[in-house]
Amino acid sequence: MNAHAPAQLPRQRNTLRRLIQPLVAPPVFDFWASRINRTWSWDRCLARVVSRTDASSDAVSLLLQPNRHFAGFAPGQHVNIGVEIDGMRYARSYSLTNAPRADGRLEITIKTIEGGRLSQYLCGTARAGDVLDLGQAFGDMTLPTHIDGKWLFLAAGSGITPLVAMARQLATQGMAVPLTLLYWARTREELCFADELRAMAKAHSNFNLRFMLTRQPPQAPDEVAGRIDQVPLDSLVDGLPSQQVFACGPGGFVENARELLSPQVKSFSSEAFTPPPRVVLDTGSVQVTLASSGRTLTVPRGQSLLTVLEAEGLRPASGCRMGICNTCSCGKRSGTTRHLHTGDITDEPVSALKLCVSSAATDLVLDL
Amino acid sequence: MKTSDMSPTNRNRALTAAELDAFASELDAVRAHTASRLGESDAKYIRGIVKWVRYSEIAGRGLLFAGAFIPAVLLPAWIAGVLLLALSKIMENMELGHNVIHGQYDWMNDPHLNGKTYEWDIAGTSENWRHTHNFRHHTYTNVRGLDDDIGYGLLRIFPEQRWKPFHLAQPLIAVVFAILFEWGVAAQNLRLGRWFAGKTSKAQMRELFRPAGRKMLRQIVKDYVIFPLLAGPFFLVVLSGNIVANLLRNLWTYMIIFCGHFTADAETFPKDSIRNESRGHWYVRQLRGSSNLAGGRLLNVLSGNLSHQIEHHFYPDIPANRYAAMAVEVKEICARYGQHYNTGSLPKQFGQVVWRILRHAFPSRPRKSASPLLQTQTN
Repeated sequence: MNAHAPAQLPRQRNTLRRLIQPLVAPPVFDFWASRINRTWSWDRCLARVVSRTDASSDAVSLLLQPNRHFAGFAPGQHVNIGVEIDGMRYARSYSLTNAPRADGRLEITIKTIEGGRLSQYLCGTARAGDVLDLGQAFGDMTLPTHIDGKWLFLAAGSGITPLVAMARQLATQGMAVPLTLLYWARTREELCFADELRAMAKAHSNFNLRFMLTRQPPQAPDEVAGRIDQVPLDSLVDGLPSQQVFACGPGGFVENARELLSPQVKSFSSEAFTPPPRVVLDTGSVQVTLASSGRTLTVPRGQSLLTVLEAEGLRPASGCRMGICNTCSCGKRSGTTRHLHTGDITDEPVSALKLCVSSAATDLVLDL
Repeated sequence: MKTSDMSPTNRNRALTAAELDAFASELDAVRAHTASRLGESDAKYIRGIVKWVRYSEIAGRGLLFAGAFIPAVLLPAWIAGVLLLALSKIMENMELGHNVIHGQYDWMNDPHLNGKTYEWDIAGTSENWRHTHNFRHHTYTNVRGLDDDIGYGLLRIFPEQRWKPFHLAQPLIAVVFAILFEWGVAAQNLRLGRWFAGKTSKAQMRELFRPAGRKMLRQIVKDYVIFPLLAGPFFLVVLSGNIVANLLRNLWTYMIIFCGHFTADAETFPKDSIRNESRGHWYVRQLRGSSNLAGGRLLNVLSGNLSHQIEHHFYPDIPANRYAAMAVEVKEICARYGQHYNTGSLPKQFGQVVWRILRHAFPSRPRKSASPLLQTQTN
């Protein structure tokens, strides 16, 4: 499934763009363009909220219209959504829940998380007409171009989001291959897409659907009670050894699924989301991934990142080494850091992390 | 000059190492207090400045065109256009560019207000500025031989700088430098003095000049070719307006920047003063090397809050719109530790700068060795 629509953009437009590029200052262009339409930008990918609908008791689906800089996606992939809250832009990854549409619109489904800044904003405050920052799609858990064999999707909580996109993709193609979806939630009120999935199961005999509840007894015939390690998977799923498995959910769920299934199925892929740590450590070591150079290093916690990277033989740009000149600052895509002067903890992605006065508290991904 | 009767030595109590540590932690606390409160109001402030810059630029350029095409209003439209365009450039360079390039608004994660990528509307590249200003000037403030901003390798501002006969011409050179200030800043990283002395190879120079030259060309093409050409037959009206607007900006930025570190009480320091420098020691050096301008909010905005040069040097990465509030506490802390807080009106401070330029054109000697930064060093 190739959905990279902007590849078909008129070539002339790109040539014109190249020609006038030297004359354009993107911030100035964006300032004036955004007076006319808030999603117009010289080179930034932005999206307008078209509509919002409640997806469950604690989740909201947003339909987004991206601008022309969005390069398309495959079901199962995620995008970073950025929102400004109290002057600061926060970004989180969300799975796209729809199959690519002719109008290019994207759907994300957000579950409210207690203490989750962005999820609360998107579920509570975001309205049609708002403009959000949008990143390009990423993620490897996607269906192959030629789909065959049997598929088993295991979802827990908001882990349903990439899997529902692939289920919808298969449904639009007539459900040509057998698909089983086991979808865990604590209560049935927290289930997203329940009506739609049931309708899909009714329409396609190839689609086997089970809602797995961990805190309620089953009522409907398609409901089952129990956690993944408490239910008889081989009786719920036909021909387990020939299944190709995609699992998505919290880290613990995915680990359980892997232990139970990966030895006995045809293939097993997974994606897990992990919240930032509750307790921040300053001893021991962590992995620092340098996204631009593709290297991964093991460095100690609690020490200046600039110093420890230099000790690994790297030469990041640096100046004052005391946190004032900003020469060593670089983007941090993920992970938690501690400011060595103030002791402050930052677990948000930031555009400028001062390496000289920051230490790693968890594994990090840096733009180096 | 009345103030010069009082040497800095008398105005600053030498602090013990313990006092320096306490001084530093009090100043650090002011930073932490402000940093924890950054948010919506700061974002609104800097976006408001962006708006001002953009609208005043378009209004200024629009008036220049109006003057060009409607002969009846030529002169008033030209004057108003020049003033608005100069105002736009001053705001862009000082309150927006300078502060954003320091990374003051990086916490917002707004790609258009990112210190590492922001490019300003002036002949010099932001990249050069990050090195000469953010790193060298702010880290080694007023340290002779390390901070190239001391006289910009051209002027003798302090008696500690070696006098050469060339300096006799500096009253004139200083004026030319003021008029061409943006070009002087653009060339600062090229170290032309070293090149003339044959210390920079041709290949090195070419490497250095490529990005600098590209930016200079871009500015020239924009202000002196494209916009004038848009006026067609009235090319000269727009061209002259743009030249004068850039010139006004140059004079204003020169005046503000020179007031920051070249007033009568500002001190310079020898290279060995920063060996094993503690945080408190660093704060004291920043304080003694910097001077503020007392004025109202208008002066704060038009100077990019360099009217709070002391606070800016203490906290170069804290949003400048916070300096005025921080200054109240900083001033009180300095007073408690017996440290002189150098401030004065723009005429007073700039008068002192002019006096320095005139006085040190001629041979001069330091009056006394400046008071040491650390009391323990005197023992």
